[in-house]
Amino acid sequence: MNPTRVILIGGGLAGLMAAIRVAELGHAVDLFSVVPVRRSHSVCAQGGINAAKNLKGEGDSTWQHFDDTVYGGDFLQNQPLVKGMCEAAPGIIDLLDRMGVTFNRTPEGLLDFRRFGGTLYHRTAFAGATTGQQLLYALDEQVRRFEAEGKIRKLEGWMFVSAVLDDAGVCRGVTAVSLRSGEVRAFPADAIIVATGGIGSIFRQSTNSVACTGSAQSALFQQGVNYANAEMIQVHPTAIPGEDKCRLISESVRGEGGRVWVPKTPGDTRDPRAIPDAERFYFLEEWYPKYGNLVPRDVATRAIHKVVFEEGLGIDGKAMVYLDVTHLPREMLTRKLGGVLEIYEKFVGLDPRDHPMKVFPAQHYTMGGVWVDNENQATNVPGIYAAGECEYQYHGANRLGANSLLSCIYGGMLAGPAAVRYAQNLAKGSDTVSSDVYERERKRQEDIYEKLRGQEGSENPITIWKEMGETMTQHVTVIRYNKDLEAADAKLAELQERYKRINLADRARWGNQSLHFTRELGNMLVLARLITQCAALRNESRGAHYKPDFPERDDENWLRTTRAEYDNGSFKIHLDPVDTSLITPRKRSYKS
Amino acid sequence: MAEGKTIVVKIKRQASPTEPARWEEFSVRWRPNMNVIACLIDIAENPVTRYGKPTTPVSYEANCLEEVCGACAVVINGRSRQACSALVDHLDQPIRIEPMSSFPIVRDLVVDRSKMFEDAKRLRCWVPIDGTYDIGPGPRIAPERQQVAYALSRCIFCGNCLEVCPKVNEHSDFVGAALINQVRLFNMHPTGAMHAHERLQAVRGIGGIQECDNAQNCVKACPKGIPLTESNNDVNRQALLDAIFGWMFR
Amino acid sequence: MPAKAAATAEVTPEATTVPAAVPSRSYIWDKLHSLSGIVPIGAFLAEHFWSNSYALVSIDRYNQASYDLQTIPWRVPVEALLIWLPILYHGFYGVYIWSKGESNLSRYGYGANWMYALQRWTGLIAFVFIGWHVYVERFMTQGRSTYFDVATTMANPLYLSFYVIGILAVSFHFGNGLWQFANKWGLVVGRDAQRKAAWITGAIGVLFAVVGLLIIFGFVFQWRPFQFYAQ
Ligand SMILES: Cc1cc2nc3c(=O)[nH]c(=O)nc-3n(C[C@H](O)[C@H](O)[C@H](O)COP(=O)(O)OP(=O)(O)OC[C@H]3O[C@@H](n4cnc5c(N)ncnc54)[C@H](O)[C@@H]3O)c2cc1C
Ligand code: SF4
Ligand code: FES
Repeated sequence: MNPTRVILIGGGLAGLMAAIRVAELGHAVDLFSVVPVRRSHSVCAQGGINAAKNLKGEGDSTWQHFDDTVYGGDFLQNQPLVKGMCEAAPGIIDLLDRMGVTFNRTPEGLLDFRRFGGTLYHRTAFAGATTGQQLLYALDEQVRRFEAEGKIRKLEGWMFVSAVLDDAGVCRGVTAVSLRSGEVRAFPADAIIVATGGIGSIFRQSTNSVACTGSAQSALFQQGVNYANAEMIQVHPTAIPGEDKCRLISESVRGEGGRVWVPKTPGDTRDPRAIPDAERFYFLEEWYPKYGNLVPRDVATRAIHKVVFEEGLGIDGKAMVYLDVTHLPREMLTRKLGGVLEIYEKFVGLDPRDHPMKVFPAQHYTMGGVWVDNENQATNVPGIYAAGECEYQYHGANRLGANSLLSCIYGGMLAGPAAVRYAQNLAKGSDTVSSDVYERERKRQEDIYEKLRGQEGSENPITIWKEMGETMTQHVTVIRYNKDLEAADAKLAELQERYKRINLADRARWGNQSLHFTRELGNMLVLARLITQCAALRNESRGAHYKPDFPERDDENWLRTTRAEYDNGSFKIHLDPVDTSLITPRKRSYKS
Repeated sequence: MAEGKTIVVKIKRQASPTEPARWEEFSVRWRPNMNVIACLIDIAENPVTRYGKPTTPVSYEANCLEEVCGACAVVINGRSRQACSALVDHLDQPIRIEPMSSFPIVRDLVVDRSKMFEDAKRLRCWVPIDGTYDIGPGPRIAPERQQVAYALSRCIFCGNCLEVCPKVNEHSDFVGAALINQVRLFNMHPTGAMHAHERLQAVRGIGGIQECDNAQNCVKACPKGIPLTESNNDVNRQALLDAIFGWMFR
Repeated sequence: MPAKAAATAEVTPEATTVPAAVPSRSYIWDKLHSLSGIVPIGAFLAEHFWSNSYALVSIDRYNQASYDLQTIPWRVPVEALLIWLPILYHGFYGVYIWSKGESNLSRYGYGANWMYALQRWTGLIAFVFIGWHVYVERFMTQGRSTYFDVATTMANPLYLSFYVIGILAVSFHFGNGLWQFANKWGLVVGRDAQRKAAWITGAIGVLFAVVGLLIIFGFVFQWRPFQFYAQ
């Protein structure tokens, strides 16, 4: 065995899992993350992680999990890996359990499971309402152990800037910039794994963390890595509308019995608690009697849009509905949902145990992402692998709740060993690559930074970012019209022009956050345009992608992956067939 | 409050560790439900002081904006806390924002908290598992025990408890309440407990638990409501028993 | 040139091995410090208050008690080992611990933080007071202090106020010290247990203060409430 070096970009669940796998195989890991890994966005996940352990005597099975996932994703996934993920899930939960995740327990001391959207089974393991935090910490601690043993080197506060590709187009490492000193440096590796998470910052007021910019994915895309199903953006039905971001109120709240309603009379100004049951419209339960409040997210989100914008029933005439847990026992709420309810309490100032919460949909997740192959998370560029939310493999046109943490860990488990295998089979390792290759890329990136620092103009990066976000949230989320999408794309093109005239108020090197942010913003704009253009292209409605002008799913023409290739500023979009070899697509309806 | 109102924010700034600190005042447009981070974003969009002098955007740390990543701890109006959950309407004005003083400064409001992560290594804050292959379920744990452990496991490594501790400063290496709480957490886990001695030995090491003098500010400052003093006392007991009797039974 | 080395050389990997856990000496010294406050110092304090309480019975009984103590076998080594050394250690090490802290009461004026600050100041006062007290009543009297000697000191208003302050400081320091001890030795864990311990140790502190002050008043006003025992 030749020792190889693998670079991991991103220390969320996916990145950490992959890092552990590589280190376990005895290879060196450089782990890059913009934030200390323990502060990665995965820490936000609240509700839980799915695995068909069937501990509740419901006859659940991994096949049923697989079927729910594919059905929930409106059949846009390549099925084999999804099946693999569902089969691995129970083992993954056991592993996490062994790592010390403080999962909730039954009186017998076994793992407790709750219900989540898009399934009829209790399949979601959870640790209070901060499951992502607990999982991330468990992996972080394992990584710390390897780090202490010298097997993993963490480079926190180093931002990935670009891949280093040799003349044959093979990835030989990365360039990264120190967020502290501003220094750009090249790091050689035999393979790299991208696990940079979501892209929420492209949208205004998403539920994501600030660091979820998608900049790394976009940079790679511009270097030749394909990007798939970009248009598939999940909007979560229940979040607290907010000024700086929308804070998620997890689906688990409904999984534990929370109910969504609006007053039957438009503009009813009474205190919600004074409105009797008969005058409340539990629209999800009425429209979807079988799944009730636990319909998948795309369905719930559209229902809320309908009730608010078409029927004019929003609370006080505003874009909000009630999410009510006041009928549930307080002790249970605190024990199982404390973490989420606390967020509402802290940021709104009302105790949701007494007051129905006011919520509205917000951008939450990207099903689309870096294109990877059907077996081992490899992208189309040799030496580049991807795992986690940044890749497109597992969730099709709509992700089921609590499946993402699972796909992150599963993806990481595959990507790590796959990258090692690839590196082992390389005819020539990165140590044979001429240093010019690294220096050339490093210089190129440094020049871009220097240019940005010195640039004169009248534009401010935050203003451009806000305008981009507003455009995206307004036109490229729940309901999509082609003419709006075209207008949005034109607006984004205009922003790209204005981007060239950005004038940075801060020209320092040391700790210059606006400089790094601006660099990311350029990449975000590219990804925003890609999302918009792919959305415009897909003339059907499938999962989260809904066009009133094309209200039906169209398998004939659109049971296709949109795989985009970057071509000097424009995008070539290929329509690839989807592997539906295991479950034949059927009509998706949650009505009965 | 009326729309169109402005708020005054005073920020302690420092361009780099070697440069002197200075205060700058900004005026920011008020909006409902605004938090301190929203003020900082506004300043980044229009980096001009209240007196019309152009300046640079303020460097700060933040990620989740919902008080779960721990990034955004700063001192606001004299109290160490998370900026994202500091709602402007609940703060006296002018709002004074300073970096935490118990950690080395990087720039403006950004400080270097890597000490906490390094200490986590020293104290072996992990459950040592044999490997990540699928070898069946973990140990059974009673729900009551899980509830106790869960409360401890919510620490976001924000460092507020260190910032407010009179015993964490440049004269002492005290690891701080957060890390002692971690020792308790891992000693509680059935697998973690098998290696409790290592952790207890480390927690008696330099900057260890003996440094704690019970000012108990930590528990007041913890945004996650972690019972830090209980953890402290519990680890005190464990460490002591291990020190006194440990050698007899080994 | 192998680029690998070139590009990564300066980025030193952080601590590459688990740092060995060397038990620091300070753990033992710190524990001894808190222990010495209870035994022997606290125990001696209790004994001292007890024997001085004879002043509330009669002059003879007081002098007798005093004489009994002054004539124990091995007096000097016993005093040195059980009293002077522990007090010196407790005092000086306490100041050293103090020097490692930075009080921040102005920012965080919570109850326990007040206790933290007061513990330091009362400790200092107690140390000075005890030093002076020993000097006056032990060395100035050649170890033969009598009721009369003490009463003479007390007659001086300056010394009297020093006594009052000293007794209060010692009692507070001891009561709060007991609570600290309960925490630092992990005798109480839960919040309720901590609170109960605070009540109990607080009561002990108050008891010491009250008894101490009564003894002082006994000397000042020649007040001997238990005199009838001796008749
Ligand atoms: C509020 C909320 C609640 C959720 N709840 C659930 C749930 O209950 N169940 C569920 O299954 N899913 C949930 N999700 C989704 C899930 O949390 C995410 O999809 C998942 O955590 C993504 O993990 P990741 O490892 O892919 O990326 P992340 O955790 O986002 O990590 C990305 C990493 O990449 C690093 N990075 C990014 N860019 C760069 C760069 N340029 N250079 C270097 N490093 C970089 C970051 O520092 C970070 O370490 C939730 C999401 C949100 C927003
Ligand atoms: S214990 Fe509390 S205050 Fe201390 S770091 Fe953890 S969350 Fe922050
Ligand atoms: S931004 Fe994460 S805790 Fe404030």
